[in-house]
Amino acid sequence: MKAIEVQNLSKTYSDLKAVDEISFSVDEGEIFGLLGPNGAGKTTMIRMMLTLIKPTSGSIKVFGIDSAKFPESVRQISGYIPQEVSVDGDLTGYENLLMYARLYHISKEERNRRIREALKYMELAGRENNLTRIYSGGMMRRLEIAQALVNKPKVLFLDEPSIGLDPSAKSTVWKYITDLREEFGTTIIMTTHDMQEADTLCDEIAIMNRGKIVVSGSPEELKAKVGGDIISLETRSGDCSTLLQGQGKILSAKQDLGLYELVVAEGEKALPMIFNRLRERGIQVESVSLKKSTLDDVFLAYAGVRMEEGGTWQEARRLRRTYKRLG
Amino acid sequence: MMLGSRYLSTVFTLAEFELGKLKHDFSEIAIRGVQPALWLLVFGETFANLRPVPTGAFSYIQFLTPGVLVQSVMFVAIFYGIMLVWERDLGLLNKLLSTPAPRSAIVLGKAFSAGIRSIFQAIVVLALALFIHVPLHVGALEVLAVVAVIVLAGMCFSSLSMSLVPVFRTRERMMGIGQAITMPLFFTSNAIYPISIMPPWLRVIATFNPLSYVVDAMRALLVTGDFQTLPLDIGVMLSATAIFASIAALFFRRILD
Repeated sequence: MKAIEVQNLSKTYSDLKAVDEISFSVDEGEIFGLLGPNGAGKTTMIRMMLTLIKPTSGSIKVFGIDSAKFPESVRQISGYIPQEVSVDGDLTGYENLLMYARLYHISKEERNRRIREALKYMELAGRENNLTRIYSGGMMRRLEIAQALVNKPKVLFLDEPSIGLDPSAKSTVWKYITDLREEFGTTIIMTTHDMQEADTLCDEIAIMNRGKIVVSGSPEELKAKVGGDIISLETRSGDCSTLLQGQGKILSAKQDLGLYELVVAEGEKALPMIFNRLRERGIQVESVSLKKSTLDDVFLAYAGVRMEEGGTWQEARRLRRTYKRLG
Repeated sequence: MMLGSRYLSTVFTLAEFELGKLKHDFSEIAIRGVQPALWLLVFGETFANLRPVPTGAFSYIQFLTPGVLVQSVMFVAIFYGIMLVWERDLGLLNKLLSTPAPRSAIVLGKAFSAGIRSIFQAIVVLALALFIHVPLHVGALEVLAVVAVIVLAGMCFSSLSMSLVPVFRTRERMMGIGQAITMPLFFTSNAIYPISIMPPWLRVIATFNPLSYVVDAMRALLVTGDFQTLPLDIGVMLSATAIFASIAALFFRRILD
């Protein structure tokens, strides 16, 4: 049985197609990443899978359960760590854990044991009686993961798990996410706009842009698909896009600025050839750089824009607010 | 059977933790006592001297005390929806809705905690009234019944507030709508003058105003001792709460959209 099966899923807001006819499936025990810029529809996808918002059309099955028919059964086996801080600052760490354990109807002896273990495991023991509003951003995230440990969900949804965390807190969170899968076999669905995060954590990635999945596969497959390395050229005088076409796949061309990016199989060998051709036409090269391929390039190749260029001001505002609260 | 007990356990869990927050910060209750104190001490004392309102066998301040008590509960509960907006903006509501808890249990749990919170509010007003020697019935039974009516009133008006969130959505608009409906609710009720002196059109409105029934129940318990209309009062409060809470639960998911 598949952990998640999504078929022809769409969500339309008055004039905007936030999610547009998406289909995919996730195997049990897999870490599946939805990767894309802000506003690509990742959070909407997660919220539909969690039955928080109703799809306009299409179907979702979570461990075979139809989420439109049995939303409460889906929620019983799901865990959720939203993008925004979701611990209640007016309650202590312990109270936060206890409240959610009770909302998932875990028996008293069981929940006492699991809360104790989760606190210890997430290195929060000793701080559980402090109000969480005095916790650091990293501690809050750890408490949220502790909540997931207490409820032992079969599938855990993480929305931008490391957003706003400093590098060391980030790598700690990554470690806990992979541990969660190793120890409990939890299926994990996560969204991220951080290429490195997706590359490090995910077994499978679906790259989203403007409500559609533009490409999917393992990080290695995806990187291989872009065909290798990227050459960025800055030239002077004349349009050389036709000339470059024969050398590889052009990703972007800004003729007026003389800036070009193209993908080639082997950058080291392609560079001298490109230089020769350009010199023959009398085109002078100002600067050049060679980059081995990353997921960002995969995104550029399939979505036609760089990750940082997406998103709306509302998204940016929310993002900043989250940063502020976490900071 | 198991479903029923799970449902109740969800309602009580939510109410319990909402109330638990009070023990970390008790100052808000004291602050909320200021407004009713002004009504009772300034408005009540002055109006009592004027004697413009026919209140029968009872003094005006006796007549007014249940009105101010209910008003103080309503004024706080009617803004309860703002907390929901706040929790949505923080991400807490998302998280809560991702648990197996049914929407109606979430609404009831929050309404119940608002109801219990109202008790503390009412204690401040009652203590103040007794302090200025307003003659009230405060036997054990009356007090128990008064507490029940207050909880119900708090649930009723907080449910009304929550049913408005899916429409008004932002904190600013909820503030605005709260202010826009509290005064009309207050002045078209029997809180500060009896229905008998109202012009006919206002009487019609007053009979549709749930606040009138809460005040009537409170007045019967604390002042008149005449319980004839009490069953009607309780019935109206229960149905109003059920209607508002159902609307809130039905459209709850729209808060997130």
